[in-house]
Amino acid sequence: MFNVFYNSNIFAWIEKIISFINSIFFVLLIIGLSFALILSPPDYLQGDSVRIMYVHVPAAWIGLASFTCIAFLSISYFIFKIKNLILIIKSILPIGLMFTCIAIVTGSIWGQPTWGTFWAWDARITSMVILVLFYILLIASQKLILDEDKANKISSIIAVVGLINIPIIKYSVEWWNTLHQPASIKITGTSTIHSSMLMPLLLMFLVLILYCALIFLMKYKTEIIRIKKKNLKRL
Amino acid sequence: MNGYGIFVWSSFLLTFLVCAVVYYKTRKTLKKYEKDFAKEIEDLSVEQKKTVLETSKVASKIFSSYNKTI
Amino acid sequence: MLPKKVKKRASLLAIFLSISAISIFLILNALNKNILYFKSPSDIRSNQNIDFDKKIRVGGMVKKNTLKINNQEIRFIITDFKNEIRVSFQGTVPNLFAEGKGVVAEGKLQDKKFFIADRILAKHDENYMPPELKNLMRENAK
Repeated sequence: MFNVFYNSNIFAWIEKIISFINSIFFVLLIIGLSFALILSPPDYLQGDSVRIMYVHVPAAWIGLASFTCIAFLSISYFIFKIKNLILIIKSILPIGLMFTCIAIVTGSIWGQPTWGTFWAWDARITSMVILVLFYILLIASQKLILDEDKANKISSIIAVVGLINIPIIKYSVEWWNTLHQPASIKITGTSTIHSSMLMPLLLMFLVLILYCALIFLMKYKTEIIRIKKKNLKRL
Repeated sequence: MNGYGIFVWSSFLLTFLVCAVVYYKTRKTLKKYEKDFAKEIEDLSVEQKKTVLETSKVASKIFSSYNKTI
Repeated sequence: MLPKKVKKRASLLAIFLSISAISIFLILNALNKNILYFKSPSDIRSNQNIDFDKKIRVGGMVKKNTLKINNQEIRFIITDFKNEIRVSFQGTVPNLFAEGKGVVAEGKLQDKKFFIADRILAKHDENYMPPELKNLMRENAK
């Protein structure tokens, strides 16, 4: 029943998926970029600076989604002790950290022409910085604690505590007065972003998600080989 | 882009530069691991090599793909 | 159904989670006033002990037809549609600063109705649309 989850079967799948993504990635990237930079209209208020949204928003989504994944995987690891989950968590970590940082930096670049400042310690931005700190804590605990069991235990506790930060980030713009505007795309109800700008946004999101999948799979493969190498030594 | 060019281009360039660097690094580490792993199998004694390649699909896969590229 | 060990770990986790959720909630509740990036004119009106020497931020909408710009200063009224504060400012404003749009002013209160800002930030809303559509909407509204 769990055949799919054996490393050797996953390994064959990874190869196939990587070559599939490689074959479509650049076409999608070019389409996405041309929509984001040329074909989409400027905003009525922000003019062309709104184009920063096409990298800022997907990056922030990926940063948040990665952490949510890591937290739930950590919970399942803590309860079921499936070793494979740790490999998956380790492979998601760098992606999450990278995109959260990208979201913060591009947001700061976006803030200068629109808000008039690079930085504001409002609730949204502060909670994003806290998310980066949680990512760094997780990576540090995986790298610095040599006892593997201990490292996994500690990092899963950090991830669970960090999970509380996620709804705070999401709703910070509604609960408190912030400089950051509320979300344009809502889970329920109509979004307040025009379709001619929503389409490129979703396209860029798809491109970045595929990129994430590529990085994730390569990293996951590396982790599997690391484990196999260890087994080889035991021979 | 009506005065916003520097902001838009810098954020796009930054994003894709970081992406490219991370891609390159991940790929490099993966290749290094594959190479080391294949070498380690190569160095095993004949019987050990045989058992490893027979029991582990992953090992045989990496080993064969690595030998192909040489 | 599940092994005892698994159940034990799950309940441990549940207790840990609920405790940390409650404590975070309490901390946030206590910090609530400090988390606010800016105060609205109503907040200032209802606040009894205001420190007039401390820098604060006031935010709201720039009231329509109140923006006056001469070569020395910019004057306008920040409103949250219940209460208002007059603001005076010298310096440059962001591109998005305009009547009827969101604004955050940083500076000192002179009294409860008058504020001298030394920095103006623009707060835009979550609506994004092409300019043609906005013009169309404006014409429909007429």
